[in-house]
Amino acid sequence: MIPPKEFLKKIKPFSFLSEEELDTILSGLEVEVYPKNSIVFKENEQLKQVYLVFSGLIGLFDGEEIVDYISKGELVGIISAIYNTKTTLRAKALEDTICYIIDKNKFKEIFDKNPKFSSFFLTFVSKRFKLFTNLAREREIFEEATFLIDVAKVIAKKPVVCNPNSSIKDAVRIMEENKVGSIVVVDGEQKPLGIFTDNDLRRVVLNGDKHDQVKKFMSSPPIAIDAKKPLFDAYTTMINHGIDHLIITNNGAVIGVITSKDILSQLEPSYSVLALYRKAIKATSIEELKIVFEKMNVAVAKMALRGLHFYDLSKMITSVHDAVVVKTIEILRKNYDVENFVWIHMGSSGRKEQIIATDQDNAMISSGSENMLEFAKAVNEALAKIGIPKCPANYMASNKRWNTDIETWKGYFKKWFNEPIPDHIRYLSIFLDMRPIYGDKKLYNELLEFIEDNATNQAIRFLALDATLIEPPIGIFGIKNLKKGIDLKKFGIYPIANGIRVLALDNKILSITNTEERITELINMDKLSKEMGNNLLESYEFMQDLRLKHQSKAIVTDKKGDNIINVRELDKLDLLVLKESLKIVLSFQKFLKSRYAVSRGL
Amino acid sequence: MNIRDADFCVIDLETTGLNVKKDEILTFACVPMKGMKILVNDSFYTLIKPKKYKIRTMKFHGISEKDLENAPLFEEIADTILNKLNGIIVGHAIEIDMEFLKRYFKKVGIKFERQTIDVALLEKWLGERLGERKVAEELTLDALIKSYGLKATYRHNALADAFFTAQIFQIQLLKLLKYGINTIDRILGIISSCKLSKHNFIF
Repeated sequence: MIPPKEFLKKIKPFSFLSEEELDTILSGLEVEVYPKNSIVFKENEQLKQVYLVFSGLIGLFDGEEIVDYISKGELVGIISAIYNTKTTLRAKALEDTICYIIDKNKFKEIFDKNPKFSSFFLTFVSKRFKLFTNLAREREIFEEATFLIDVAKVIAKKPVVCNPNSSIKDAVRIMEENKVGSIVVVDGEQKPLGIFTDNDLRRVVLNGDKHDQVKKFMSSPPIAIDAKKPLFDAYTTMINHGIDHLIITNNGAVIGVITSKDILSQLEPSYSVLALYRKAIKATSIEELKIVFEKMNVAVAKMALRGLHFYDLSKMITSVHDAVVVKTIEILRKNYDVENFVWIHMGSSGRKEQIIATDQDNAMISSGSENMLEFAKAVNEALAKIGIPKCPANYMASNKRWNTDIETWKGYFKKWFNEPIPDHIRYLSIFLDMRPIYGDKKLYNELLEFIEDNATNQAIRFLALDATLIEPPIGIFGIKNLKKGIDLKKFGIYPIANGIRVLALDNKILSITNTEERITELINMDKLSKEMGNNLLESYEFMQDLRLKHQSKAIVTDKKGDNIINVRELDKLDLLVLKESLKIVLSFQKFLKSRYAVSRGL
Repeated sequence: MNIRDADFCVIDLETTGLNVKKDEILTFACVPMKGMKILVNDSFYTLIKPKKYKIRTMKFHGISEKDLENAPLFEEIADTILNKLNGIIVGHAIEIDMEFLKRYFKKVGIKFERQTIDVALLEKWLGERLGERKVAEELTLDALIKSYGLKATYRHNALADAFFTAQIFQIQLLKLLKYGINTIDRILGIISSCKLSKHNFIF
């Protein structure tokens, strides 16, 4: 086999081809090199060939603007070659680039003959969105570095030790007291001489006596590993020796014991989120909650990098998050003489869509007394200490304005609905996603009912306009200004969340705050077509996933996360799906504009 | 002549050994280039039946006696091969291959003369431009394939080697253009200057 064939075989969709079909493609093959900045093809050209990038990078230009990048293993020129149309873009080598050039007649021959091959391109052409997200997800998920962390980081408890002359009875008593399944037998310098486990205890029962010395029945020599070794080595050591308890040493002295369960919990972050949830519920102090919260961020980041998707993940996080807030309120309310109140979350937490770096967005329906303000302030401070930053715009229950009685709240909404100036529209966008977290839900229900009954058409139209003002930067040929990166929140996520909120308000389903659930309900109510609804669900999740992965990488590498996705972070498939997602945002905005007659402003 | 207008023919042989006087050719492969473009479709590969097969050399080329059973003799295919050898002959350690071909063509009464370019010599020269003195180990075909980022999972087939050599040569031409060297004469000049200092140049 000659090298080009090998190269082709590894690339989709050429991997779908038979040997003969590959030979056909090869029979029309040339390899051409394009020095940096040279033109591969111009606009308005009728191409006689399809280009497959072997190395380097090609940029597709619409005028002076770059609209797409073609990198190793990608094809360009297919449409012009197959449909005999003229090119609409100019292709220029951005680096020294080597292309495999496939004769268009040979390419078309295979295209017409092999449906698997052609359907790959047809999905590009007819933009069958659903297929794309599936493709994107089938790929291998990010390989994480869990296996490479120091084994010392996994140690959960201080080592449980005894000396070799201790009796079996004493050793077992120590194990019982510490609720562990093993005890390390050490010398005067804490160096391990052996390990005594539940398994060894069986041998005692059969062949010994509880007054025997532990050294008689311990497993020796003990298997130990240095604290600086990676977790992976610990895991293989345990497997190779068929043991379940591994001693961790530092300069030869015991510093802990880990079990296979400890390792598995590291490898299975969802397991650790569940554990964190349990810990949050059992917590008795703000300090404990702080530890839970810190660990949660890392666990979430790991799960996101493992490929867990936004909808599932955000719900898990919301549960832990809510549990932390509820616990904080429960701990602090003892110090205050609290009256009837309900603690409310708004914004992404209200929508149960928070992921990693989300600020506090909370409010309270209460008497609004000094005492309640002091209480709210204490909660806000404690949450900040735990690791949920304060809201810079001061949407917090400690703010007198957002901690007031039910009648004042009703007055706010009435005013906002009747005077839809920009500030009021902004308040509506935030407070229409409110969700009760703790306290008297009747207060919340009363306010919600009032909101749904008093929404004005004028306000709904203004909200619709607001949701359609910022259009994703997408042209006929793709995403504009990609080089600078794209703000996923601004151009993708907000337009959908905001637009869906308008429909939720209009259809009186505000008690549902989650965007996914709102969309599903709107589909059920026939207020959104199935097609648009499902497209929105997919794009929303996809963009949230991207944002999540982006922020997770930042967390894992100890950087500050943002919402700007750089094109270099995306592989081809992600980029393609992102393009499609933004197009769906655009068509959703069109739908809103015509539905609420705001196409030419108000 | 400008590089872009030149015809090249990148070749590779597999032989029973390196003794150009006694060893025999087992395979011939060539990949033509038009300027900087590799014409994969016009590449050619053939086995050649030796007069005497040496089993112990099989470990180098992997060609068994059975593979060669139905192969043509050189004299049967000499014309075909000669027709393929157009333009400047390019190869890795091309001198040796040329010596073999000259001997074979001479036997069938053809005087075979061509201008040649050795990619190893070219690489040596290019290295010197960057102040590197490449040693023989860095100039083997395997080393070049690696340093040019071309994956070699299937090598030591004459056609695969010829193709890899063509890809290396293609990138070398690109580099030469960046030094302002865009004519065949200048490349040939570089090659002959390298030959003068090639003592003990072993592949």
